[in-house]
Amino acid sequence: MFSSGILLQLLGCVLWQNWWPMLTGIMYILVPMPYIFFGAVGGDSGYSLYGSNLESGWIDAGKFLAGFSAVGSIAIPAILAHAQVITTGALIMELAAALVLGATCIVYDYFNSKDD
Amino acid sequence: MLCPGTCYSAEYFISPALIQWWNENARRWGPIVSGVLFGAGWWFWADAIALSPHRVPFDQYLPGIIATLALVMINLIRKDELADIDPFDDASYCRARVWLFLSYVVSFASLVAAVWVMIQHYSSNPDFTPAEKWPGAAGIFQVSFILGSALLFFISRTPGNSSSYDGYGAF
Repeated sequence: MFSSGILLQLLGCVLWQNWWPMLTGIMYILVPMPYIFFGAVGGDSGYSLYGSNLESGWIDAGKFLAGFSAVGSIAIPAILAHAQVITTGALIMELAAALVLGATCIVYDYFNSKDD
Repeated sequence: MLCPGTCYSAEYFISPALIQWWNENARRWGPIVSGVLFGAGWWFWADAIALSPHRVPFDQYLPGIIATLALVMINLIRKDELADIDPFDDASYCRARVWLFLSYVVSFASLVAAVWVMIQHYSSNPDFTPAEKWPGAAGIFQVSFILGSALLFFISRTPGNSSSYDGYGAF
């Protein structure tokens, strides 16, 4: 699923001979980083009250940053299409790529939390 | 209960199913949705700046910057300081309330400023085509999204008021 998302993203660039959509790739790299650095998905460290305040504060900040860069991956193609740097078809393909990658994250999250 | 005066439980106004859904999901998805809203706000503004044929002067960036400042201010508060008033304490409850009030003032100021910028510079200006008036509307979208994100982050951060702990939640 992940590779089909990347494929859609690349196709959005290649089919229209316009390499501007690769700027969205920066956002795709940024999105998992808060998860990697703050180690966040659904705290299960065994505290009685949803984690201590300090630790849950960092986890929440990490989720905030992840959401922020996720919307960047939708916003950059939208701005490029609004400025007519890329065509509408490329925009639709970029949005499809973002959707597939987002669905990949959700499915991954779901399967991870099922194992515990 | 340690609730002073008249105090209403949330079940009187909102259906319990909604409250339970909120309790289960707010902590997991709240910060992410709040990050999405914050990003949407700033990207609206970036879109308006990128597409505007005239140079947008710096003082029109200010409503967004002040809204971001309000977001930081409102989320610096520790929720357990707001949970209960303890008459023998060192006034941390009052300090938290005063800071919250100040952050509300700042956030409403940014909203008013965005509306003011839009009315003064964009909608009453007869020379602009409708497409050129986009920075004004985008400023209002930006500020309202950022303030919505601040509020959502604040209420979905730590266990909220509808938990069943009677004031022992700070441990």
